[in-house]
Amino acid sequence: MTAIVRQGFHFLPKARDIPGSFAIWAAILAEMTEFAVMFIVYFAAKVHNPELFYDGPTRLSTSAGTANTLIMLTSSFFVVRAVMAMRENQLKKCSQWLWGAVFCGVLYLVIKYFEYQWNTAQGLNTETNIFYGVYYYVTFNHFLHVGWGSVAIVWVIYRVNTGIYTKDDHEGLINIALYWHMIDLAWITIFPLLYVIR
Amino acid sequence: MTHIKIINYLWLLLIALTLFSAYMAEQSESGLNSIVIMALVLAIKGRIIVDHFMELKRSHKFLRTLMHVYFYVIPALILVVYLFPTHIAKWTTL
Repeated sequence: MTAIVRQGFHFLPKARDIPGSFAIWAAILAEMTEFAVMFIVYFAAKVHNPELFYDGPTRLSTSAGTANTLIMLTSSFFVVRAVMAMRENQLKKCSQWLWGAVFCGVLYLVIKYFEYQWNTAQGLNTETNIFYGVYYYVTFNHFLHVGWGSVAIVWVIYRVNTGIYTKDDHEGLINIALYWHMIDLAWITIFPLLYVIR
Repeated sequence: MTHIKIINYLWLLLIALTLFSAYMAEQSESGLNSIVIMALVLAIKGRIIVDHFMELKRSHKFLRTLMHVYFYVIPALILVVYLFPTHIAKWTTL
């Protein structure tokens, strides 16, 4: 235990504890299941339409997909650092890391908006074929998650700044952090499926 | 190594893995090797986020297992769908 404390791990959840609340885990597992259903639809559509799913990713912007993956991973990292700052009672730093995550969320949305515009200019839309139907359904669903996730982080920043959360009591922050990581997990799965694998 | 350092390095690793898979996607035609690498990269990234960002490594065992299974099953499906598309198509025909 002493060694663990010395290495700075003392603030991690105890064994068998649930990080955050039961409610947020119910939401996370429900969302992960929803995305899993979309991935199963993707796999089923892929085996029935191999040519469309082989060509599909080549007409999408790999750069936009890669940039958004890097942005999502970085936003998740910022959220982790925000939680760590809160545990060290560094409220200002916590707030700054969270603003970093919000900035990443907004940047993601902007890139996605221009990616959709670029697709439209190329004549790609939900009706083009089943690959783009799946692509729009999954990515727009994720887009909405990033949108309301970013708003939730802004709400948490307000609560950090007004002193509602303390070093010892900040479950709301942990809950939003976990939810944001779930959004990240969904994206790191979407990226290879739709942009890379053929 | 401190917790902060570990988290910083893991973030860099996640970035490196993403750039590597994007490079692989641009460089090579679709083949078994690249599919295996993509599936592995996804499994590793998922595991890092679940264990270290969500902090499940040292906490609730059932939740951790559940989240790990997700990142075993999806990469496995990527491989299975690549290797046996006609079989899966038969099973999923109504």
